[in-house]
Amino acid sequence: MKQANQVGTIVGSSVHLTGIIKDSSDINIFGGVEGEVHSDEKVVIEDSARVKGPITAREVIISGFVNGTITAKDRIELNSTGTIKGNIDTKDLLIHSGATFIGKCTMAEKTDSESTATEAEFGAEVETEEIEEEQPAEVEKDED
Amino acid sequence: MYYYIFDQIRNSRARADFEKIKEIARNFSIPGEFAQISPARSAEELVESAVDKAATTLIVIGSDTLINKVVSALIRCKSPSPIALGIISTDPESILYDRWGFKTYEDALETIKFRKLERFTIGMIEPNFYFLSSARIECSKPTRMLVEIDHYKVEGVFDRVEISNNLYVLIERFLKEKSLIKSTLNWLSGKETFDSDQSIFKGKIIRISSTEAIPVYIGSEVVTKTPINIYRKINALNIITKRDRIST
Repeated sequence: MKQANQVGTIVGSSVHLTGIIKDSSDINIFGGVEGEVHSDEKVVIEDSARVKGPITAREVIISGFVNGTITAKDRIELNSTGTIKGNIDTKDLLIHSGATFIGKCTMAEKTDSESTATEAEFGAEVETEEIEEEQPAEVEKDED
Repeated sequence: MYYYIFDQIRNSRARADFEKIKEIARNFSIPGEFAQISPARSAEELVESAVDKAATTLIVIGSDTLINKVVSALIRCKSPSPIALGIISTDPESILYDRWGFKTYEDALETIKFRKLERFTIGMIEPNFYFLSSARIECSKPTRMLVEIDHYKVEGVFDRVEISNNLYVLIERFLKEKSLIKSTLNWLSGKETFDSDQSIFKGKIIRISSTEAIPVYIGSEVVTKTPINIYRKINALNIITKRDRIST
């Protein structure tokens, strides 16, 4: 094996892992994981992967199946083949058409001054409601 | 004092290399004692001899198998004074050649003379087998294994497991090409007809067990059989490195 100091963790498709997996670099999962997944960087759940347990990372990208809470400091991306059964907590969320998300989403306000959290609940299948952004108040013009 | 350990001399070319290195070492003013591995003198005996003679630098010239044997013997012998290890890897296909392979023996001995030292982590298989390159488990047929790494367990049917000195673990399962046409084309063009599913982990303590005892290799030598416990000895050896090397 050539020296590979910067290689993160890769869980191959022929592997079943149980326990707590921690890595300061990326974790790529193709196989089965039963337990906690922690990374300081990115966690990628590939199409063939099945994860049962909480995931914590800076960024989480899901194309496989996850049953557990996901906490991503920066971003969560749920691809069309992906399924999440569990609550998620992140700053930035992207859900592609065809994905399944059953759970509760908590998103911290992006502005630093406001520390309150916004919560949005989703149904059994993805039902993305368009959140109406607050429009700037219309300036009333006095009719002459 | 420098103490040179050469791999067993098996042909005239190896003999010529041996003489050439002796000559270059003299020219570079780093002469010392020159010894060869033989059926009568093992690596362990030569390392003990170097320690007895109060050698400050041990130079090992040969394959990964020999280098790992010398590393093992050097750690086991617990020398009263620290001994620096110089490595000249002679097998271009080997892992250690990446770091300690040289285009010419002049380059190699110039590096040895410059004596830039770095501390290296060494892998250890219980009870006392040490390795600087890697330890391997190679199965003749896919075998169910349990690999326990720190706080988690990895289970599956694998063909090969390789553990590096700093305890990176590569687990491979060879997958045969499913398409007969592709498989035939690969065979005709001389390509491998299988792909592999790879997993990479890293840890501090590793335990590997299997449904049946499988031999564990360091270099080309079988040192033990599964189940095994593997640890790392951090900064265990001072090793001479090339001047342009920074990472360990």
